[in-house]
Amino acid sequence: MRNALRVPLALAALAVAVLLPVAAGPFWTGLLTQMYVFGLLALSVDLLLGHAGLFSLCHASFFAVSAYTTAILQVRHAVPTALAAPAGLLAGTLLGLVFGFAVRTRGVYFILITIAFGYVVWGVAHRWSSFTGGDNGVTNVPFPDVGAVRVESHTEYYYLVLAVVLLCALGYRLLVASPFGLTLRGIRASETRMRSLGYHSGLHLYAAFVVSAALASLAGVLYVYYNRFVNPVAASFPISVEAALMAIIGGTGTIVGPFIGSMIILWLRNWVSSFFELYASVMGLVFIAAVLWAPQGVVGLVGRLRARLAGAGSG
Amino acid sequence: MTSSAILQAINGTSLAALLFLLASGFTLTFGLMRVVNMAHGAYYLLGGYIGLTIAERTGSFALAIVGGGAAVVALGYLIDRFLIRHTGENHLAQVLLTVGVAFVIGDVSLAIWGGDSLKVPTPVFLRGAMELPGGLVYPRYRFVLILFGVCVGAALWLLYRKTQIGAVVRAGVDDREQVSATGINVDRLFVLVSALASFLAGMAGVVGGAFLTLYPGADWEILVVALVVVIVGGLGSLGGAMLGALIVGLLDAYGRWLLPEFSYFVLFGPMAVLLLVRPRGIFGRES
Amino acid sequence: MTTPAAAIEVSGLTKEFGGLRAVDRVSLSVAPGERRVLIGPNGAGKTTLFHCITGTLRPSAGRVSLFGREVTRLPEHRRTALGMGRTFQISNVFADLSLFENLALAILGTDRRKWMMHRPVAAFDDVCRRAREGLELVGLAHRERTVVRLLSYGERRQLELALALSSGPRVLFLDEPCAGLSPSERQRISRMIGALPRAITVLMIEHDMDVALGLADRVTVLHRGRVILEGTPGEVQANPEVREVYFGHV
Repeated sequence: MRNALRVPLALAALAVAVLLPVAAGPFWTGLLTQMYVFGLLALSVDLLLGHAGLFSLCHASFFAVSAYTTAILQVRHAVPTALAAPAGLLAGTLLGLVFGFAVRTRGVYFILITIAFGYVVWGVAHRWSSFTGGDNGVTNVPFPDVGAVRVESHTEYYYLVLAVVLLCALGYRLLVASPFGLTLRGIRASETRMRSLGYHSGLHLYAAFVVSAALASLAGVLYVYYNRFVNPVAASFPISVEAALMAIIGGTGTIVGPFIGSMIILWLRNWVSSFFELYASVMGLVFIAAVLWAPQGVVGLVGRLRARLAGAGSG
Repeated sequence: MTSSAILQAINGTSLAALLFLLASGFTLTFGLMRVVNMAHGAYYLLGGYIGLTIAERTGSFALAIVGGGAAVVALGYLIDRFLIRHTGENHLAQVLLTVGVAFVIGDVSLAIWGGDSLKVPTPVFLRGAMELPGGLVYPRYRFVLILFGVCVGAALWLLYRKTQIGAVVRAGVDDREQVSATGINVDRLFVLVSALASFLAGMAGVVGGAFLTLYPGADWEILVVALVVVIVGGLGSLGGAMLGALIVGLLDAYGRWLLPEFSYFVLFGPMAVLLLVRPRGIFGRES
Repeated sequence: MTTPAAAIEVSGLTKEFGGLRAVDRVSLSVAPGERRVLIGPNGAGKTTLFHCITGTLRPSAGRVSLFGREVTRLPEHRRTALGMGRTFQISNVFADLSLFENLALAILGTDRRKWMMHRPVAAFDDVCRRAREGLELVGLAHRERTVVRLLSYGERRQLELALALSSGPRVLFLDEPCAGLSPSERQRISRMIGALPRAITVLMIEHDMDVALGLADRVTVLHRGRVILEGTPGEVQANPEVREVYFGHV
């Protein structure tokens, strides 16, 4: 039943995603674009969290460094999108090569060190105002324009993001099913055994970290063209934690999970902040609730529900 | 130039004193209970704000310190008892949960005390500058802070090294099974150590709020620097927290002075290098 | 004419923990194809010696070489690539993964394709075939898709052995492969070990004297971190000193 439903479900979801901008209007189109972008960021966090078992709290860094690089090139130096976007991706990935040394550590140490790394980037964005524009950041980023692909509206950009995110999801699926993906789950299950089987576990984790940073950087590029500006908030700690929270709420170790989580969080924030000033508190409570009651996330809940229904049906 | 360098050294040392207050609690709760409490920065900020209100109402700085610390002890107990305890030894869950707690505390504080930078008023005899040997002039408050930090550090050290409770805590840091074997009430010990950590954090907020000021976001800024202290020194080690605080305090002061735009690099760069050599910090144990 | 290098040559190997010498100047030489069994009372340093030879632990002093090549300073994964394979005293398998995935990891560990990121594991026909063969060898082929968590203790011990064999070792280190097994499972495992081709050199720690003496070409007796005797099973059984430390109080 599960496999039979999967293809029609995916097609239905795709149809809804394609038709939504027509039906839902500009506000929802914009929010959905954000949801995809942050879902991609959450997915990048989840490559480490849900597969390798590493909890990174510095992914806002890659996200922000690529966003800043693209924005600065495009706005101040009039570099075309065809160069500015890849340059952003490259910059974030290079930072991943540096921060990747965090995989020398595990567990709490890894968490704490990535937090510290994340603050370096935030600090630089915040204080090096002659280059980053300080708290105002870089503004007036144009829509992307790559030869034949020329985006002129938020709706068009929505489709571009949808296409990129779908491609990423497909690539991600291959990645986690590949020997490399299996290796990461092996390291999470027993690193000592992996070493005795001939794996240089640290090198695999490092590679995973860099791939994950590249994915976060891609999200950063997509973000800056949507947002049209970037400021130190993009590099801030809450972005990193929220990305992790999205993955956890949606369900770690899955592909749809991080996107579902991103939709829930962004929708919740949007809705709550429309009538309640203390929405940061509400987000805090969501963290607490997620840890206490839904450590398996929505995907896990659905799975359990289905198992229970199947059990009731047969028994 | 040399006199500036000396002033920066004193600046760094006074910051180290403050960082030690915060980091020692963090490191002890981790060492003994294996709890990572990311709300420590929020405890700092909340303690500072409450102390500020007390100081404004009563005019007593001493009362502000005790009140700010005590309020955080009460809150910290509830958070430990009703939230953190449910996470077991899952660090990921602890981090997420306590980050959530910190968001709530920070947000509620913002609603109560507003978004401006506030300064805890200090008593008259701590205001102004004092003259140091060699003709240097330095703010009296920060100088006293160094003495205060040394006193607290010495007290903690005595408690840790010379008392029976300290001995049990040390044994617990090495091997938790041992504590249960001594027949001591482990729960009560945990509550005690966690209360001490909360008190130190709340007190640090009042003391720090008098010269660094209190504002939304100060909770995370100070926490991250305290984390670097703990990482450099080695999680769970009191001596590590002392040495780490001194290193980080000095690096921060010189970094801000020499490379203001990249002071974060000056702070975190050496940490990264150290970790390549010793992933568990200077006094950290290999497990 | 030079004599062919020993499969494993250990000289003066010492491992200290704090002030304690768990392994004390141990030297031994195992010929290619030999079945060598290590015996000794609890705490004799057998597992620590294994850890030092396979690279899980760094020895405090001494040298280890594999087929004439010194490996004392090589990390564990490099030694595996050179032909060492091992099992653990306490089953160390991937509990969250399926049996197939466990075997695939063992097979790919010494294969450059472990770095591939763009093809599903299941698409490698030879890996699938070898995984099935590995599971058949230990009688678990019918549970290929089962998650290891659901296996019994005895089945995990068998999987443990299958993992070690699947990385294609030239020298196999077995740390009490039969510990905690029922008599029938025990027989099955020792038959399997007995049937291994002589191309594989085997070093084994074993408490069960019947199993040990039945399989061994030579036996090394460890006591308090030192080698107190080495000889054929018959010599070892006849030795009064061994009777004293090993069988003494029985």
